[in-house]
Amino acid sequence: MMDTPFNAVVPMLCVVFAALAVMMAEAFRGRDEQMALGGLGIVGLVGAAVSSMLLWNRNASSFGVIVADNFGLFVTMTLVIVGVLTIMFSSVVVRRDGLPAGEYYALVLFAVVGMIMMATANDLLVIFIALEILSLAVYVLTGIRRDDPRATEAAFKYFLLGAFSSAFFLYGIAFTYGVSGSTRLDRIGAFLAAQSMSDSPLILVAIGMLLVGFAFKISAVPFHMWTPDAYEGAPAVVTGFMSTGVKAAAFAAFTRVFLSAFEPFSVDWAPMIWILAVATMILGTVVGVAQTNVKRMLAYSSIAHGGYLLVGLIAANDVGKAAILFYLLAYAVTNVAAFGVIALLGTRDAANDELRDFSGLWHGRPALAALMTVCLLSLGGLPPTAGFIGKWYIFSAAVSAGYYGLAIIGVLTSVVSVFFYLRVVVMMYMEERDPGLAAPAHVGGVGMVALVASIVVIFYLGVLPTRVLDLAAESISTIF
Amino acid sequence: MNGWLGLVIMIVLAVGYAGVMIGLSLLLGPKNPTPEKLAPYECGMPAVGDARERHSVKFYLVAMIFLLFDIEIAFLYPWAVALRDLGWAGFVQLVTFFLILSVGYVYVWRKGVLDWGPAARVRHPAERKAA
Amino acid sequence: MLLTLSWLVPLVGALLLLLVGNADGRRDGMIRWLALGVSLIAFAVTLGVWAAFDPASAEFQFVERHSWIPQFGIDYFVGIDGISLLLVVLTGFLTPIALLSSWGSIERKVKEFSIFILALEAAMVGVFISLDLFLFYVFWDAMLIPMYFLIGIWGYDRRVYAAIKFMLYTMAGSVLMLVAILGMAYLHSAATGSYTFDLLKLYSLDIAPQTQMWFFLAFTLAFAIKVPLFPFHTWLPDAHVQAPTAGSVILAGVLLKMGTYGLLRFSFPLFPEAAAYFAPWLALLAVIGIIYGALVAMVQPDMKKLVAYSSVSHLGFVVLGICAMNTQGMQGAVYQMLAHGVSTGGLFLMVGMLSDRRHTRLIAEFGGLKTVMPQFTAAFLIMTLASIGLPGLNGFVGEFLIMLGAFRWAPAFAVAAGLGVILSAVYMLWMFQRVFYGPVTHEANETLTDLQPREWAGVLPLCAMALVMGVFPTIFLKPMEASVDALVLRMQATQTVQVEIPVDRRPDDERRLTTVTERVARR
Repeated sequence: MMDTPFNAVVPMLCVVFAALAVMMAEAFRGRDEQMALGGLGIVGLVGAAVSSMLLWNRNASSFGVIVADNFGLFVTMTLVIVGVLTIMFSSVVVRRDGLPAGEYYALVLFAVVGMIMMATANDLLVIFIALEILSLAVYVLTGIRRDDPRATEAAFKYFLLGAFSSAFFLYGIAFTYGVSGSTRLDRIGAFLAAQSMSDSPLILVAIGMLLVGFAFKISAVPFHMWTPDAYEGAPAVVTGFMSTGVKAAAFAAFTRVFLSAFEPFSVDWAPMIWILAVATMILGTVVGVAQTNVKRMLAYSSIAHGGYLLVGLIAANDVGKAAILFYLLAYAVTNVAAFGVIALLGTRDAANDELRDFSGLWHGRPALAALMTVCLLSLGGLPPTAGFIGKWYIFSAAVSAGYYGLAIIGVLTSVVSVFFYLRVVVMMYMEERDPGLAAPAHVGGVGMVALVASIVVIFYLGVLPTRVLDLAAESISTIF
Repeated sequence: MNGWLGLVIMIVLAVGYAGVMIGLSLLLGPKNPTPEKLAPYECGMPAVGDARERHSVKFYLVAMIFLLFDIEIAFLYPWAVALRDLGWAGFVQLVTFFLILSVGYVYVWRKGVLDWGPAARVRHPAERKAA
Repeated sequence: MLLTLSWLVPLVGALLLLLVGNADGRRDGMIRWLALGVSLIAFAVTLGVWAAFDPASAEFQFVERHSWIPQFGIDYFVGIDGISLLLVVLTGFLTPIALLSSWGSIERKVKEFSIFILALEAAMVGVFISLDLFLFYVFWDAMLIPMYFLIGIWGYDRRVYAAIKFMLYTMAGSVLMLVAILGMAYLHSAATGSYTFDLLKLYSLDIAPQTQMWFFLAFTLAFAIKVPLFPFHTWLPDAHVQAPTAGSVILAGVLLKMGTYGLLRFSFPLFPEAAAYFAPWLALLAVIGIIYGALVAMVQPDMKKLVAYSSVSHLGFVVLGICAMNTQGMQGAVYQMLAHGVSTGGLFLMVGMLSDRRHTRLIAEFGGLKTVMPQFTAAFLIMTLASIGLPGLNGFVGEFLIMLGAFRWAPAFAVAAGLGVILSAVYMLWMFQRVFYGPVTHEANETLTDLQPREWAGVLPLCAMALVMGVFPTIFLKPMEASVDALVLRMQATQTVQVEIPVDRRPDDERRLTTVTERVARR
């Protein structure tokens, strides 16, 4: 690839142009014309993946604020995978539910652009813009079923609390700028490292504000209140998208900001995040146990997974950083697939996402039940799946940094979480189908292809993780 | 602090002057309220109905589109001024920016946002199916 | 390669079965034969391993090592010594029997059932042959999944509750072990600069006594739940009673041994100082378990539950033998593991046959079966006596060696455990009497069929094995001797407390104990 000042934004541009193409196609298509709009999106995402591979190890940077280092590119690849899977699942759902196809795919792609930008941004303001790009798209996606009061409520709640958290974030940026005189992460880091400001309250306020802003986006307890409602109200496939993509992007930025710019203050912020992590893991799992709606249950599970990721952040060593990357990938693939199953089981009129809707699924749709089981076992962290290696890696990081207590709390909560994942398995395998329920929907075509592909990835990461572990380790070697 | 002193004096003076003027007129002016005088000013006609009535969504759409292109102009001016310094890189960046905005423009145009007549309303296939 | 085959064969078999289309249950018969064939091949492989095993060496044999996840220093590293060899063979032996037992009782979803049993076998063998802690943990946790499904889908009324309880109990213990494993890898990296999960390297790692205590507790909790040791045993009656017959056979026959094997292989040799410190306490729990299990077994109205509680009692003996940390105790412990696998597996198998015929397992529902089912009665008697520990049958050798070892270490424990031997005779014989002697009290029992040839195929090998193990214990003691000696030496070399040097068995001791047991058995 030629060296130009635009190199670092090429992956983003690929997705932007795909989104624009989708919008154009939507604008010019005939009244009843069917178009493979999702296919256009996949082309763009594949372009982003290819350009990311070409940029690997090159440390490209554009305009001083976007850096395509390996860390950002690894997350970009994760986001591309999330995007492709989401579009594949969506292609079934959009047609079935009569959603506005062009707008839907364009929003998904624009959200991916925001996510990639967030993962590769090297400036607090750009991170903020990226956050807004992805958030606005996701707010609309949450409420894309306008006739559904639950979805509208979810979108509105998500929007209000999201705006609230943005304010915190922006305020934090302002304070940081006030203290250090820059919004560029490298300059902030250099400034803070050079000055001895451990007694400055301003920088602590700034860190606190940014922490709250990020905590909202990764739905860490106690800033998680919007999550269950938003996740339950949104269409399942959108929930899968935002519970993984938004989380991955936010975590990438979170890690970058706190482990590069604010690294000198880790003594101050590590205890704060310790408390957040413990509260998140415990609340996510304990409240998850009480849920009867699978989507809501997975919402709480995704809160808990955010807690595990925070453990990697607290460890703050090389193992921890690489573990975050690996865990994000493993979690993203698994969770998108799990929500994909829920989405595929729904119909236009009924979401079919209550626990009892899964009863006896094994007898009617053995393949689907088996695939869902693999996803749930991976979420629960059982071998030989991706989730197991991810947990192993995260907790190694905690132990190697001396946080035994955190590791013990983490493993114990993961046992509790296995309890509620198993409830779905119990329903699918050990209960007869509720006679009042219609037979489960037929699933085929693109949706099934996406599911099988995710399962292959889950097992690949679980059994032969070496290659990806190498990539994760390479990713953190170039920065921090 | 020295550099900012003038600004502070200026703000104090501005606020003080405005405050004093309004205060004095409140204090000294004669007050003879009648219902007509208390009503909101409406071109001299008596007010009819509530001011908070529903407007067509088109007004909002136009307002939003206006905002977008207004901001585009706001970007164009500094670019035009610094055109030579920014060089080709700046040119490419702005063209990309244009492109994105014009795709949006074509989209809203084709979607019928700019059609104000009731007959020309374009309905989305999905919408029609639902009806 | 042979060792890898021993777990790969069942796994590949399971994957092959996955490909057989059987939506309407038309190919059930073929699938049954296929699964049995695969499990027999796997058994043959384990026998092949035994044949090529060198009993004189205490080293790990058939060692295979391939780099797996080099970033963490994780290898695919397997090998066996005399202790694990016998357990692998036991697994290979019991799996075909478990599959056979399902022919009469499992009628629904035969394909999935066979797949889960074979997957379970693969994981169990994997647990016994792993010499890398990561690999071990993977198999240890992976084993839960098929067992969970076996109990939950094909079990009895309260199967779902039992399945979840089994899974959560075991996992709760094992995740703490996970933290300890990670901690050890970290300590190794702090000491040498590289991560490793290699058991042999970790054996030589020098861990501070304080740290050893914590790690020992974390490991031992995982194993104690699995054994199950006294206060952690509550999952076992539920899981055993609710599991289908094949599940119970494997659960009692092999799964419980993973706990005691873990103590022998990991807890004790990895943390010898902590082990010496905690051994009396563990032994105390074991003895409480022996007596408690026996007493509770005595009052059970349900045969399956009775056998389940008898397992708690018998496994207490194994733990006691391990805690003694001398040659006799350890040898006895390993022997008792095998013996318990055969005799309790057999008892569950036959209780399952009764349950298939009458759809009840309550002792009160039976009586006088001797006249209706003479062959069955004979086989059941052999298993009962084997379980009691009658000389000449398998249970005797193990219990005797354990008592001997325990007596040399702490006579009080041995005396208390002796009480358990007496009680086991009481509850087993009492049950036998109520079920098989006397007049036939229920009409339904008059028409019961005796053992069918297919059932004989499962029962006969178990009875034969009980006899062989009772009469020729040397066959099984020989291969483990060198390994056990090495283990005991290792324990003693690093121990701070004084433990007796192993000496030859004293004939007068043997005679004294023999007469005690015989007297008990005659009662």
